[in-house]
Amino acid sequence: MNGAWVVFRREVGQYFASPIAYLIAAALLLVTGLYFNADLTFSVGTKPAEPALIPLLLSFAMVFCAPLLTMRLLAEERREGTLELLLTAPVSDGAIVLGKFLSAWFYYTILLALTFIYQIILASITQPDMGHTMAAYIGIWLYGGTTLAVGILFSAITENQIVAAFLSIALLFILWMGELIGQIITNLELAEVVRQLTLIGHFTSSFAVGLIRAEDIAYYAGITALMLFIAIRVVESNRWR
Amino acid sequence: MIDVQNLSKTYGTFAAVDRLSFKAEAGEVVGLLGPNGAGKTTTMRMLTGFMPPSAGSARIAGYDILNDSLEVRRRVGYLPERVPVYPDMTVQGYIQFWANLRGVRDARRQTERVLESVHLLERRKTLIRNLSKGMRQRLGLAQALVHDPPVVILDEPTIGIDPQQVIEVRQSVRALGEKHTVLFSTHILSEAEQVCDRVIIINHGRILAQGTPATLRQQLQPGDHLYVQISGASSAAGQRLLAEIEGVQQVQPQGIGFHVRAAVRANLRGDIAQRVVQAGYQLEELRPVAMTLEDIFLDLLGREEGA
Repeated sequence: MNGAWVVFRREVGQYFASPIAYLIAAALLLVTGLYFNADLTFSVGTKPAEPALIPLLLSFAMVFCAPLLTMRLLAEERREGTLELLLTAPVSDGAIVLGKFLSAWFYYTILLALTFIYQIILASITQPDMGHTMAAYIGIWLYGGTTLAVGILFSAITENQIVAAFLSIALLFILWMGELIGQIITNLELAEVVRQLTLIGHFTSSFAVGLIRAEDIAYYAGITALMLFIAIRVVESNRWR
Repeated sequence: MIDVQNLSKTYGTFAAVDRLSFKAEAGEVVGLLGPNGAGKTTTMRMLTGFMPPSAGSARIAGYDILNDSLEVRRRVGYLPERVPVYPDMTVQGYIQFWANLRGVRDARRQTERVLESVHLLERRKTLIRNLSKGMRQRLGLAQALVHDPPVVILDEPTIGIDPQQVIEVRQSVRALGEKHTVLFSTHILSEAEQVCDRVIIINHGRILAQGTPATLRQQLQPGDHLYVQISGASSAAGQRLLAEIEGVQQVQPQGIGFHVRAAVRANLRGDIAQRVVQAGYQLEELRPVAMTLEDIFLDLLGREEGA
């Protein structure tokens, strides 16, 4: 596991060595800040503040953000030829993929933590439902991990970062849209199956309303593990060419 | 140190490496010599544990490349042909990353030691993207040496850098042989001749010849090669005269004289001198021609194409 840790440290260093990490963080705070402000304005007279406001926004935003955060991770190694050195280092292929995945998740966690500022502001002016908010944050943290794992998979498949990002956006969008598809299917049982397969289906009606259910955690953990497993196999396949 | 037995790599019906067998002892510098596409890189990729062989086996420092891949990788330093770097890392960060990944104890000190040895210590804070090509090459070498591996594998380390740096790289490869077993590939013959203790010539994935540069030259240069220059005779007359001499196999005009290939026999030169003078011409020059490894190589390749 030493290998995964070394790869993790390098990747985290890469995120923060480039200005892009800071630009993304700034853009995220700007967008969520505007969104929070708008919600707050509404909340003054007409409704209570939405406890899962930021997680709900991110559940859509991650369809586009996760691929951008992960497209570089393996595609660049392949294009630059450094993958050849990584694969001849005394570490397993799994450790390489895991280290990279964890670094992306770590960076995402920091981004998520930044948006906590809104909860602090909210708590200073009213008494928000913190339990509800925490559940939503735990949900979007797991949800984000899964989208990042999808991004890693497509980054492993191609050496072109744009193609990697495009393919993962496409898959994430389908997983996200699944809920809408579920809504127009008349066969109720089939509609429920479709909904249970989607990312949103395990978030909006559970974590986002303050529920933490084992089945949802199992869903995100399972999809993440599956994506990483395939990504490791894809990296391994470089040896057979 | 390196023991390769019938190593093969096939892609479909195409054999990139075809039953290659050779050995390298500790402290030996072995050159893999061959034209582009001969199977040098594929061989190296199998030995470094990047790709598994289709058939055959190899042991490095006693470990099998397939069954003990991780142990092999711990004991091999590898510099691929296109030096792979992370442009956004500093020189020190890059070397330390590989040291850590390969489990080097006291990675920091080792990093400084190896950077010192490739003369990059004063550039350790520089971003790799700002290094020149030659410096990157030295950085790649440092990366391959940071864990002090018993076996170092270098894939065409002198490609694309200027002549001064080529000389430096050759010197450092030569120096590596004191502590490491070095396998390096090149398609430049004079380089193999200068740097290697032993040369293995491969083409189409097969070994054509192997030995020290000196023995290769001896083995593969059958007969005597002489340069003869005659004045007073027309070119055709001179050629006819020389060709009639006993033992001469081939006479080719070369410059203002002739290149004569003959079977080895006693007093060949004396006979040539005597015949030239008897025919009323003057012998201006008569000297042996040492075939360079280059000629041998082209000769071998030519024979293989013909076969």
